[in-house]
Amino acid sequence: MEKQCGLRNGPEPAEFRQRLKIVLILIGLLLSMLLVRLWYLQVIKGDELKQRSENNAVRFRIIQPLRGLIMDRNGAVVVDNRPSFDVLYMPTKGINHELLLQRLKDIYKTKTLEISSDRPFPKTIKPYLPVRLEKNVSMEKVALVETNVLDLPGVYIEVTPVRLYLDGEMIAPITGYTGEVSQRELEEPEGDYLSGDITGKYGIEKVLDPHIRGSRGNELVEVNAFGKVIKNLGRIDPVSGSNIVLTIDAQLQKAAWEALAGLAGAAVAMDPRDGSILAMVSSPSFDPNLFNSGIARDEWEKLQKNPLKPLSNKAISGQYPPGSIYKLIVAAAALEEGSVNPDTKIFCNGSFELGNRSYRCWKKHGHGSVNLHRALVESCDVYFYTVGKMLGVDKIAKYAKMFGLGDLTGIELDHERKGLVPTRDWKLARMKEPWQLGETISISIGQGFNLATPLQLVQAYSSLASGGTRWRPLLVQRIELSNGSITKEYLPEKTGELKLSQQTMAVLNRALWGVVNEPGGTGAAARRPYADVCGKTGTSQVIGLPQNDKARRQKKIAAFHKDHALFVCYAPMKNPEIAIAVVAENAGGGGAVAAPIARKILNAYFDAKRKEKTDQVAVIIPPADQTGD
Amino acid sequence: MIFLKYDRRIFQNFDWMLFALVMSICAIGIINIYSTGFSLIDNRSPLYLKQLQWIMLGLSLMLVTFLIDYRAINQAAYIIYAISIASLVFVALFGHTANGAQRWISFGFLLFQPSELMKVTIIIALARYFDDHKSNEPYLLRELFVPFLMVIVPGVLILKQPDLGTALVTIIVSASIVLFIGMNWKSILIAVASVLAMLPLAWLFLKDYQKDRLLTFLSPESDPLGTGYHIIQSMIAIGSGGFLGKGFLKGSQTQLKFLPEQQTDFVFSVFAEEWGFVGGLVLMLMFISLIIWGLKIAWHSKDLLGTILAFGITALIAWQVVINMGMVLGMIPVVGIPLPFLSYGGSAIVTLLGAIGLLMNVSVRRFILQR
Repeated sequence: MEKQCGLRNGPEPAEFRQRLKIVLILIGLLLSMLLVRLWYLQVIKGDELKQRSENNAVRFRIIQPLRGLIMDRNGAVVVDNRPSFDVLYMPTKGINHELLLQRLKDIYKTKTLEISSDRPFPKTIKPYLPVRLEKNVSMEKVALVETNVLDLPGVYIEVTPVRLYLDGEMIAPITGYTGEVSQRELEEPEGDYLSGDITGKYGIEKVLDPHIRGSRGNELVEVNAFGKVIKNLGRIDPVSGSNIVLTIDAQLQKAAWEALAGLAGAAVAMDPRDGSILAMVSSPSFDPNLFNSGIARDEWEKLQKNPLKPLSNKAISGQYPPGSIYKLIVAAAALEEGSVNPDTKIFCNGSFELGNRSYRCWKKHGHGSVNLHRALVESCDVYFYTVGKMLGVDKIAKYAKMFGLGDLTGIELDHERKGLVPTRDWKLARMKEPWQLGETISISIGQGFNLATPLQLVQAYSSLASGGTRWRPLLVQRIELSNGSITKEYLPEKTGELKLSQQTMAVLNRALWGVVNEPGGTGAAARRPYADVCGKTGTSQVIGLPQNDKARRQKKIAAFHKDHALFVCYAPMKNPEIAIAVVAENAGGGGAVAAPIARKILNAYFDAKRKEKTDQVAVIIPPADQTGD
Repeated sequence: MIFLKYDRRIFQNFDWMLFALVMSICAIGIINIYSTGFSLIDNRSPLYLKQLQWIMLGLSLMLVTFLIDYRAINQAAYIIYAISIASLVFVALFGHTANGAQRWISFGFLLFQPSELMKVTIIIALARYFDDHKSNEPYLLRELFVPFLMVIVPGVLILKQPDLGTALVTIIVSASIVLFIGMNWKSILIAVASVLAMLPLAWLFLKDYQKDRLLTFLSPESDPLGTGYHIIQSMIAIGSGGFLGKGFLKGSQTQLKFLPEQQTDFVFSVFAEEWGFVGGLVLMLMFISLIIWGLKIAWHSKDLLGTILAFGITALIAWQVVINMGMVLGMIPVVGIPLPFLSYGGSAIVTLLGAIGLLMNVSVRRFILQR
């Protein structure tokens, strides 16, 4: 029958049957080996392995890495790490959890201590998954838990690193803060976070988190029924995060913070030669150490509801009408566009008439006949109303943008705002209304729709000081490993150029020097004995900005009707090496309030430099009027 | 031709035994995956429901591979083979990457793993080849050059993904088929010798983690954090099950997620922890019955083609069971091989059920082929 069914030209079926028998025996052998092994594991070694599984003898533990340090440009540590002691509890079968917690409380009571967070046990306690009872406890509690460990089975102390912000609120808006990873961050596909990880939430801590974070280590330990480690089976050490070296000078930062004390606002100091930020303060501020082990709800609400907005970095996210600071830009536009020449005189009688409206100069009885130089020195509004009208809004906007306004500076921080440089098109698109000439008049003195951040203002004046180069603000100098080898270096980056003639720049330069150093100049309060400061005052009105939500809220409170005080300057006049912008909210006039703050910062800078007695060799800018007259 | 003609005998002689065995093992798989309690983070259905959907899809494929006469399928063997190779090449070029391996083609809502398909396709292609080149004498090495190429091309493509386990199974199953067909003794010796000579060279091509796994196997306690952790945890889970097991949903090692990959490659440790030695024995007996039944089908097949197909499919299942369990029980190094019908994984279960359809196809047509 087999032959009949026919494998005509192939091997005989009988041969296959022989082979199939061999295959069957082989497979039988292999599977019996598996069965024997199963018997060995489950029956012979079963009790032993069951023991191991019940004690969960082998426990896998994650070791959090140390976050990288944050240092200032001189290597002074601004943000460090310190150990935090947490009380953990590893639930064990057959132990009443509530009773145990009560016993812990009783032990605390003997030293009149209380448990800090009295939240109930999670509903579903999984054996062998530890519950964090308390975070960041005092050494006294650590000692109590350690000495009573036999009465507290499963309770143990875990040491984890937490952030220590040495300069606290002084530099908090830059460094930011850290906190436990959120549910949303956990679900980010590229996040690589585990529940319980610490991550940067704000500022440099957040922006550079991938560098600062480091990588987790882990270890496998054998523990006894009390959760005590009895044997270390293996360990992969965590790798510390990279250190961040800021361009900030901590001493200058401190001086700026103290100079701004008691006021709300911001001050930024920048090196016009490469865009390095030397100091950046925002006041009032917050203590980032509060966020370490989760901020208490009431503390958080207090910060959130404070009308002075301590949580926002006003240097980059505060948007202010630039006021007379803007006149530099209008002056540059007027000279370049040929609306006026340096000698053109305009008569100021104290007000400017347009249709049936009258726009006042800040000086009631007028400045008389002024040229551009005097108009800037004395901050004559009528002069700028007149040239502003000649230029029109779009030409002014062109120059404002050339100075970097209305655009992000690209600083290495989150929450930077763009400010606003209005144009005809913008208004039509935004408000569906055509531009009014009266609005051009307001724009000419930096009021109206104009908005700029303190960082943008310092960047704009820096680009004049540097002879026309606009640098991207540098906040981070480099990122280095803990052994000092550099992984990333931030180089100065040119983001724009002032296309102004040498002559225009020289005129503006001299006028800014006059603001501070000439009789009648509005910035006299920033004058130093060396007569080396160039600057411009600004006083911007906060009322009358109905589209600005913040201003509307402030309107309700009488004290907030006061003007913002602004001052932007650079020094020394020849080869400037520091530029400063100061904005003090609702503090009064720029010359009276902001200029003295800037002078304090300048003094701190030059005093420190003199003390160092190092030679500054860098000469970047050729003398401005070499070819001029 | 006769391929799709309705024939009462197909249903009269339906292989209920084989079907029932496979379905029972699948059912155990579903229950077991349910116990791993694993559900994806988002709101998609829990894993056991997805596995159920995959089984449904596999059953439809099984119906197709069962109804079309296997000799007709054989006509298309090289086309199927070419498609499988093409999809492997596609994966190499544009494939979806997960866990550091590029193994999948993404169809948006589902991921398809061509290497799983290849494991079955290679059997069909080799059956076609040897059916076309029948010989009364054992094959010589030079006569096996074409089959060698047919195996080594997909093998390298899969190895590159990298997926050492699947590549190994593809090659081992193919080798089993060739040995079963009959090879000249001298040729066998030469082949074995040259493979042994190639081994040091192969070591150079292994990825670091694959080397680690092999080294770890030699002493698992040396690296308790890496691969050793899998093996130790797996053995603790299995061992702690004891004779009778901890009971359904009661496996502490499983429920606490101490076991890595517990719903895929290490699924047997979940089963052994909860159902103990008794459960493991029952499952093993079911697999043994399935294998014996498959060999029986090869035995009774009326033509060489059917014999090779039945043997190849049975060998595929047997090898995967042996390698997977050996790995989970800590007897051989960890290579990523799923346990047939029990591990979670869409592509694997669909192609396996398709292969079972083919096996039933061979089984039932011996009653028809007598004409």
